[in-house]
Amino acid sequence: MNVSDQRYESSALDHVLILAPYRKDADYLGRLLRDHDIGVRVGTQADDLDELLAASPGVLVATHEALTPGIIAAVAGHLQAQPSWSEIPIVVLLDRASRPEQVRAELGRVWPRARLLFYQRPVTTVELASGVQSALLARLRQRDVRDHIAKEIELRRELNHRVKNILASVTSIFEMTRRGATSMDAFAEDFRGRLGALDKVHSAVFRSEGDSTSISEIAQLTFDPYLLHGEDRIVAHGPPVVLSREPGTTLALCLHELATNAIKYGALSQPKGQVRFNWTLSDDDEPDLAIVWQEQGGPVVEEPTRAGYGTRYIRSALASIFGTKPLIVFDKAGLRCEASGPFSRVAGQPLTHGRVKPE
Amino acid sequence: MNKTTAGTSSPLRILYLEDNPLIVFHIEQMIEDFGHVFVGALDSFSELQKQFPSLEIDGALIDIDLADGSTGPDAAAWLHERGIPSFFVTGQAQIAAEYGDVSLGVVSKPVSQNELATKIELFRESAGR
Repeated sequence: MNVSDQRYESSALDHVLILAPYRKDADYLGRLLRDHDIGVRVGTQADDLDELLAASPGVLVATHEALTPGIIAAVAGHLQAQPSWSEIPIVVLLDRASRPEQVRAELGRVWPRARLLFYQRPVTTVELASGVQSALLARLRQRDVRDHIAKEIELRRELNHRVKNILASVTSIFEMTRRGATSMDAFAEDFRGRLGALDKVHSAVFRSEGDSTSISEIAQLTFDPYLLHGEDRIVAHGPPVVLSREPGTTLALCLHELATNAIKYGALSQPKGQVRFNWTLSDDDEPDLAIVWQEQGGPVVEEPTRAGYGTRYIRSALASIFGTKPLIVFDKAGLRCEASGPFSRVAGQPLTHGRVKPE
Repeated sequence: MNKTTAGTSSPLRILYLEDNPLIVFHIEQMIEDFGHVFVGALDSFSELQKQFPSLEIDGALIDIDLADGSTGPDAAAWLHERGIPSFFVTGQAQIAAEYGDVSLGVVSKPVSQNELATKIELFRESAGR
């Protein structure tokens, strides 16, 4: 196992590095800790210390005799190289005859950013073992902090990505709305409506778990503003289907375009006009999702000479999410829009590749 | 409306790798207004590898971040090996610059109509058309 593998394995407690020049001390301490199921490595001389420290022990246990200038310097170097989350616990076993305050002050100076724990011999087995165990648990908490920091960095990166993405979306909506606008007022109304649709679906995706949203919820939040006096002018129907964020957002924006178009020029511009919005999943192992928007009871439909924003957007956007172009039919009896494609392309699931996954 | 057209020369066939459908829409409209052919949009490098055999294209526009990760540069290198020139469409100019040997350069985001029109014309030379 290499060093970095070991550093990132946080499930088990770390091992303890014993620094004891006297073989007898080292053997005694090693046996004691192993009896308490604590993993141990032993350094009896300064030579192999760098390698032992590089293996990232969770706790150091040092006898008084180990506090030589060479070992102190090597440990100091290791402490200095610690990442910011780390404060390695070091258990020091002082001689019976030593003056603890003095050693404590000296080590506190040369070993900053260590959690020093002192025992003076003779020390009971229970005392020492429980001290080392508690130091290992403290070390485990430090690694938890490290994991949280890593997660936060990842979340910030993801947040940045999303903000950029949404700004890019708004820029595109702005540019495309501007191109199609005939007046400042018309521009403002269309732009506001499109941003409103984007806002609503964003909230719906945010509220749901797993960064996804159902088609019925998308339909509801898009059509609710148009349910006049309790009449169901738009009837939406289909099985429970959950879409991931991007396809869900795109479908909401398409339905917004279809609905506003129907209100201005289509079925919903007349009192008796109606819209049916249906979606179905085919009965296959790898099912297809199909959506149909059908207007009826409106004025006689004529194909526009030049496709506007709505039609062009729907063609492009539904092709993006389904992989095939939608069918938009300007039938005299009512506009119809159909699209279908593999459900797997749009299915709601934990976030895509390489981004933060929910726990 | 300020349109830049492909003029008398033949239209170019353009593929776009981008996972945001709104941006796809925006670029698609511009490309069609120029008089070129928008072949389609793919949201990932893996989708490109899958669909490439059935595509007939003169050049590609590529975002750095796609649905399968930051795979835009891999896609550009992969297309370069197959003789297809590309531009990165991105705000991350410095990342794109690192891959200068496999692409013709960068179209900066947000995309301006004039810059896009000019850069797409460079596909013509590169493709020898």
